[in-house]
Amino acid sequence: MKKSIVAVGMALLIAGCNATTPEKPMSLKEQYEAALARTKAAVEKAASVDGEWRDIRWKKSKKRYLPKAIEAAKAGDYEKALKLLKIAEFQAEMGYKQAIAEKNAGPQLYGM
Amino acid sequence: MRTIATLLLSAGLVASASQTLAGPKEDLEKFRAYFEQKFPGMQLDDFGNGAYALDASKRLQWESMEEFPPYEEFVDKGREIWEKPFKNGKSFADCFGKDPSKVRVRYPHWDSKTQQVVTLEGDINKCLKENGEKPFKWKKGPIAWLSAFFGYEARGQKINVKIPDDPKALEAYEKGKHFFYAKRGQLNMACADCHVKYAGHFIRGNLLSPALGHVTHFPVYRAKWAKKSKNGDGLGTLHRRYGGCNKQVRARPFKAQSEEYRDLEFFHQYMSNGLTINAPGYRE
Ligand code: HEC
Repeated sequence: MKKSIVAVGMALLIAGCNATTPEKPMSLKEQYEAALARTKAAVEKAASVDGEWRDIRWKKSKKRYLPKAIEAAKAGDYEKALKLLKIAEFQAEMGYKQAIAEKNAGPQLYGM
Repeated sequence: MRTIATLLLSAGLVASASQTLAGPKEDLEKFRAYFEQKFPGMQLDDFGNGAYALDASKRLQWESMEEFPPYEEFVDKGREIWEKPFKNGKSFADCFGKDPSKVRVRYPHWDSKTQQVVTLEGDINKCLKENGEKPFKWKKGPIAWLSAFFGYEARGQKINVKIPDDPKALEAYEKGKHFFYAKRGQLNMACADCHVKYAGHFIRGNLLSPALGHVTHFPVYRAKWAKKSKNGDGLGTLHRRYGGCNKQVRARPFKAQSEEYRDLEFFHQYMSNGLTINAPGYRE
């Protein structure tokens, strides 16, 4: 009797674990691919409201986080690529938010 | 009860009606009044001298520069471009009319056919293309020389941008106005933050010029741009400057002659209506 309770408990424990952990952790490459897709979408969204910042992908910027992330990934350095994408995605989201927040900007803010 | 409701309703209507009535003319009056209050006693045309109108010692240096202006040889190059016929025998005069002094004041303007803002530089390249010539690059070089020549010939005339009572033209004007007042870039600053709110203050060693009078001396000859060029050519167009000011706040600049910058120019030049053209100007 005691044994069977333990067995049921074990079974539940295992089942529970299986439900929450993914079968296999995402590889760095997979993480990079997901982050790249997210970042690209965020940049397009910012650009669609004229809110893109200078250093995300503009060709004359020295930083160019997005193209440099792609370069790093091509060279196999996914960790660096992920770091750069994180900045690019954050800046794209902020640029979008900024443009939306500024929708009604006008001279009234300057006492005119 | 009903009368109160009607009263409230009509008051609301009046309020919203007067808001929509605040068009370009009212904007211009307020804009000018703001700067006249901020810089009391300054002559209207002196706003066209930018930061030099605000700082006596810089002004002395600048006035001595203007005695032997470094832009003169490039204005002369502009004149040569004006006079040189195209391969098809026609010339710029066939596009702009015979008198080069009458060109600058017609720009920018609203074109009801194409439903867009037309700039002087835009029409220079349009003229070249229509005559089978290669268009100029947008921000510097020949386009700035010819534009500077038109400006030089128009010295003494007044900026006179017209915003026609056409919903599309007003929309373009409103877009340009919004561009001017909206914060952008990583530094979260609007044109108006630097050139309205903080005009007359220093930012990283630069004295900020008032937006009133900004456009009278464009294309401008900048010592900074001259240093970057091989032949001492410091001339650049207004849209080159727009790009530079967008970059400063770490926003992605738009292309010269993009719709964004043409609409901005429409608003920006209109705000200097009545000020005297003194192009090209010399700046640091
Ligand atoms: C962070 C502050 C800042 C912002 C924001 C900014 N500018 Fe400027 N701008 C400057 C500085 C500094 C100069 C050089 C000093 C001067 O002439 O004001 C300058 C110069 C200019 C000039 C040339 C003035 C002259 O006399 O030749 C123009 C025109 C101009 N800015 C337009 C704009 C427009 C339009 C925007 C918005 C797209 C803008 N600026 C945004 C800082 C700024």
